[in-house]
Formats: sequence, structure tokens, C-alpha cells
Amino acid sequence: MTNDIDQTISRIAAIIINELKLEDVTPETFDADLDLVDEVGIDSMDLATIALVIRDEFGIRIDEDDYPKLTTIRIIGEYIAEKRSSGE
Amino acid sequence: MKTVSSLLDAQWHERYRQISKLNIRSSIYDVTDQCNLRCKGCFFFSSGEHKVASEEKDITKWHTFVESEMARGVNLAILIGGEPTLCLDRIEAFYSRLPTFCATNGLIKVPRDRFPDLMVGISLWGDREDEMTLRGKDTFGISSANYGGDPNAYYLYTITPKQLGKMDKIICKIRDVGLKVHMQLLSNDEGVDGFSWQPDELLAVRAEMDQMLDNYPATVISSKYYHQIITTGRMCDRQFGWMECPSVTAPIDKRNPRPKRLTNFIRWASDLKTMHRCCTSETRDCSTCKDGAAHMSWVMVNKRPHMNTSQDLQNWIEVYEMFAKLYRFIPW
Repeated sequence: MTNDIDQTISRIAAIIINELKLEDVTPETFDADLDLVDEVGIDSMDLATIALVIRDEFGIRIDEDDYPKLTTIRIIGEYIAEKRSSGE
Repeated sequence: MKTVSSLLDAQWHERYRQISKLNIRSSIYDVTDQCNLRCKGCFFFSSGEHKVASEEKDITKWHTFVESEMARGVNLAILIGGEPTLCLDRIEAFYSRLPTFCATNGLIKVPRDRFPDLMVGISLWGDREDEMTLRGKDTFGISSANYGGDPNAYYLYTITPKQLGKMDKIICKIRDVGLKVHMQLLSNDEGVDGFSWQPDELLAVRAEMDQMLDNYPATVISSKYYHQIITTGRMCDRQFGWMECPSVTAPIDKRNPRPKRLTNFIRWASDLKTMHRCCTSETRDCSTCKDGAAHMSWVMVNKRPHMNTSQDLQNWIEVYEMFAKLYRFIPW
């Protein structure tokens, strides 16, 4: 389970790096607990873009009302895992 | 990877922290189609916006409408017009529920016993000569008598090309009545002769605005980066225009690709049903639009492009702080 989450987190990091064209960071070096809004500067439109890729890749829909609580890659990973386990 | 912490020292980080959680969600409301002035260059009348909808006169519908706006996530109501102070009960429908800003020509005093901390922005279009030419009346004498010393009021000084070299006198006049001032540039919507900006005039006005900020930091609410953006129309190697503007009404925004924009922003007509295209005139050429709030918002919705250098991010913070002060989210 832990391994699954780690893989999900790594994949989310790759998606964010790719979609936002972040430099000097890899999925391996991306701090999973870094605040995406306050530290990386991500906004709701960025999150919407990322949510579309996550929907296509993981088959889950991120509710727009949930954006404010998805503040780190780890939280997004846990959110995805929870949605998948509940079959949403 | 560049992060906020890697770009800011402790002092700037604290300033960033103060604004980063504000999450401002504004919309703009025409309170009425009526005004007690008829200014040349007022986009509301020059573009015929006062005729597109018949204003809602049932005050209960205004109260219901504001409730629905809050449910939509709006946490800042920006009231424009016509002249909003002609309809105090409508202002109250907003003010009693959420942070509210009221733009006014200042000819009517908002009763402070009824609206103690309503933020009031008083329009001023220059010195006596310009005010007479463009507005048919020198409003400063009346507005300063109504609002002098009011901690929740400031002048919104619309600078025209005719004001070059005269700004110091105006700023001092405002300072002397105990008020703050924010500067923006006239968009000459009605093509009044001599009031359209020429490239050399934009260079000169930027320098003069910078000088005013240096000379009167306790009076002028502004930032040099804002002066740069509004006079050049350029930010992070991008040009302001229709495909960049953040202040387009969301439900009718069909732009593709979708630019960074204000979340859920709508500019409502006073019938509470009709939506205007954007925060200013639909007939205005976006490439020459000088709307101050639109340019501020343009910066604010583009945080990541300002995370290239420490100076870029500090510029972004200063513009955000300026906006937050003007709409009373943080103190002067």
C-alpha cells in the first residue's frame, strides 16, 4: 500500500513538473510535503489543469470544491488512493 | 526548483504570508444607471451601458441577489454605476453582508453612521481645468469637504496627458485634506481631443508617478511595478490585451486558450440579470485599455511567472499589497 502511494506521489510530481514546466526538479527530488500554493505558486487554474491529467491517468474526478485542501503532492496522492479504494 | 522561500528573505516572506491567504474573489456591480454628473470619457455612458438593462428597483431583490452572490463565493463587492451613492439602500444590501467598495464622484457623502467602514474611492480627473473640461464641474471642493480625513476613503486620481507636470500639486492637495490617493490613467473612450496617450507621454507619466510615490509615500498608494505595467502594457514579456485580460465575465468568457483570470468574476448590470463583458467598456479597444484594476489583477493572477527572481516576486507582492489596501483587506 505504501509502495502504491509512493508511486502515485512520484507520478503526480511528474505530472506537475511537466504541466507547469518546472525547472531544476525531478519526481525523485520533489518534496512531497511542499506547499504547492504557498511555496510553488500554483493557483486554481493550474490545479484545474493538473486535475484533468489526473482524471485521464487515474480515472478519478477531482471535485473543484476539493482544490483548496489539495495543498501538497502527498495529500493529492492520498486523495487519489481514497477515491480509488471507494470506487468513485 | 524556485520556491517562495528560496526567493524571499524573512521580511518579504512575512509580507507574502500576510497576503497569500486572502483568496480575494471579487465581482463588480452596476448599482444604478443614473449619475449626477456626465463626464466625457466615462465608459458607462459613452458605451451605452446605461441603456442595456433597466435597473432593478425592488430592494428585496437586491438582498436576495447579494445572498446568491455570496453563495457563488464572492467575498469582495465592487460597486460602480452610474453613481452608487444615489441608491444607499442598494449599497446597504452589499455592505451589510460582505466587504464592499464603493466608487463615487464624492458629491454625496456616504453617511458614516450607516456605513462606518465602507471603503470609498472618490474619482478625480485632474486639476480644476481638466475637471471642468471632462466633467463640467470641479468636484474636488465638494468631495474633499465630504470626505476629508476619512480613514476609509481615498482618491482615485485618473491621470490624463494634460496632467503631466501638474501631479505634484494634485497629490499635495489630497494630502492636505488628510486622504490617500491611488493613480490610474485615463482611457480616452470618447476620443476627447488631446486626451489620448502618446508613447512619449506614457514614458513621462511613468517617471512622474514614480516621483510622486518617492515624494509622498504616506499619501500615494501605489508601486513602481504597477506604474511600469500600466504605462507599457507589458508584463513578463507579454502584452496586455483581450487574450490576457483577467477581468472578463466568467460565464461568457469563450477565449481559447483560456488566460489566467479572476475566479468566478462577473460584472453585473443593475437589472441583476445582464452581464457585461468585462470590468470596463465593451466598446473599448483592449490593446489601449488603461484600467488600473484590470492591470493590477493581471499581475495578481500571474504569480508563478513572477517566481523567476527575487525582484520579480517582490514586485508581485507589492502589487498584491496595493490591491489589498485599496479594498481594505489589509491596513494602509
